Amino acid sequence: MKILIIEDEEEIRESIASYMQTEKYVCEFADTLNIAIDKIVTHDYDCILLDLMLPDGNGLKVLEKIRALNKQDGVIIISANGSLEDKIKGLNIGADDYLAKPFHLSELNARIYSVVRRKKFDSKNLMYYNELEINLQFKVVKVKGKEVLLTRKEFDLLLFLVGSKDMVVSKNAIAEHLSGDMADMMDNIDFVYAHAKNLKKKLTEAGCNNYIKTVYGVGYKFQV
Amino acid sequence: MKKLLNKTLLYYLILSSGVLILSGPCFYFLIEKLYLDDVNEAVLLRRDEFFKKNLPDLKIEEISVWNKFNRDTRILADTVTASKDQIILQIFYDEMVPEWEPYHVLYKNIQVQGKPFVLMIRLNLVESQDLMLTLTWLYLGTLFLLLLANFYITRLISSKLWHPFYDTLQKIEKFNLQHQQVPVFEKVNIIEFEKLNSAVSKLINDIVKAYQIQKEFTENASHELQNPLAIFRNKLDLLLQNTSLNTEQSEIIQSLYQVSGRLSRINKNLLLLSKIENKQFSDTERIDISTIFQQVIPYFKEQALAKNINIVFDKQTTKLYIIANKGLTEILINNLLLNAISHNKENGTVTIVLIDNSLEVCNTSANNALINDIL
Repeated sequence: MKILIIEDEEEIRESIASYMQTEKYVCEFADTLNIAIDKIVTHDYDCILLDLMLPDGNGLKVLEKIRALNKQDGVIIISANGSLEDKIKGLNIGADDYLAKPFHLSELNARIYSVVRRKKFDSKNLMYYNELEINLQFKVVKVKGKEVLLTRKEFDLLLFLVGSKDMVVSKNAIAEHLSGDMADMMDNIDFVYAHAKNLKKKLTEAGCNNYIKTVYGVGYKFQV
Repeated sequence: MKKLLNKTLLYYLILSSGVLILSGPCFYFLIEKLYLDDVNEAVLLRRDEFFKKNLPDLKIEEISVWNKFNRDTRILADTVTASKDQIILQIFYDEMVPEWEPYHVLYKNIQVQGKPFVLMIRLNLVESQDLMLTLTWLYLGTLFLLLLANFYITRLISSKLWHPFYDTLQKIEKFNLQHQQVPVFEKVNIIEFEKLNSAVSKLINDIVKAYQIQKEFTENASHELQNPLAIFRNKLDLLLQNTSLNTEQSEIIQSLYQVSGRLSRINKNLLLLSKIENKQFSDTERIDISTIFQQVIPYFKEQALAKNINIVFDKQTTKLYIIANKGLTEILINNLLLNAISHNKENGTVTIVLIDNSLEVCNTSANNALINDIL
């Protein structure tokens, strides 16, 4: 899997690449509009992370170029401007997703995973981890072939953790992921604990191994 | 506040009335003097005529005949006491009209066939009251005509001469900074209006530019702050992957996460405030408060659940419409709900009441209520 990170801030590029390495993604970089356009013309990527404010112009030009070349690369805009107009504009030109800075790497990872999955025609909607089976299309979880009834939030939480398998996902990232647009309002993230506790309980009661590990008080990790 | 043209008309009315009122008496006295001079001249002319043509061959026995045919030039017996040889004012009763009328009269001693007589020459004066009345009517008529003419001239000026001014005024009134549409003024060949238009155009262009710069500054500030925040957060995400963390270090990381969340919230709020200050939320629409509450409340269920708070929203069918910006209204309602939950006690309630064009969000708390005056 190849990812192109178009971002002029070096620290952000490095952080993303460092996180993605563990996911076995190959990362390439572009810090200006021109380099980015050169790269997309000569290479294909599974996913492109696009910062809009580049030193030599607006990142939307890259998006226009990709669409003009009729390429199927998935594009996620990572912008410092979180305004609604900006978001709508980006999605209208053909971005697959829009993530406002500052974001959690686990959130970015989940978005990349989702974009890449949608782009692939042979996308498998079923994921297996030993006795655990997750159906992405119907949002159903089965343990040893038997369905476990999860709430919407519990399902989202499980999927989020699975998306960053073997990585520690912070409670804050989970809180923001689960509360969506309301994330900015939250100053109390205790509800994450309640959801995680319920999810773990439901899975273990159905006979599933405890794959969801609590990492001190900071976060959770899905590990098979 | 009066319209410019009405004001012009008013000034003109005052000015022309003033001029007419002041000039009235002068005019009156001048006319009267001219008239009296004319009368006096006529009296003296008759005297001269009498002396030259009639007196030399006038006989005493003819005097009664003379008096019979001459109403205003009479020969009287020498018994007149009035002063002689000068024109004086006297009132006579006129049987023809009939009323008392003023006359200018000249008495003069004469000799007819050696006997003394008195010659009386008189001329009827037009009554000064009549003169005054006629003049007043004349003046009122003139004033009326002047005003009428002025009214139509002003109207003409208004529609022709002042048209560019009103056009410019209307366009400035319609100008809205948020829509960024610089008005285009009509071309005029009047120096003052052309100057006005170009000055206003320059002013508007400057304002639009300044507004643009300010907006860009907001965006840049956002960019500048969001990047370090993103780096901060991402580094924490990476640090968290370190397998050799102990409890103490994890706790530090957790509190740094909280700080990063707070910083991000503060930054977003500051941006929101500056956008409100810049009036970037000027688009308004008709919104039902009740509908927004119904949409928003589910998002707070989790926050409420953490403290076991019950959110009560009765009368959900009551509609309360306001004209406002939708995004801002949602933020306001979110803040109200969030605060009602944050500043609440365990097992408390949040009650939302919508009645009679009023909205109340009530919370239970162990603390005292806020003081209305300092809000």
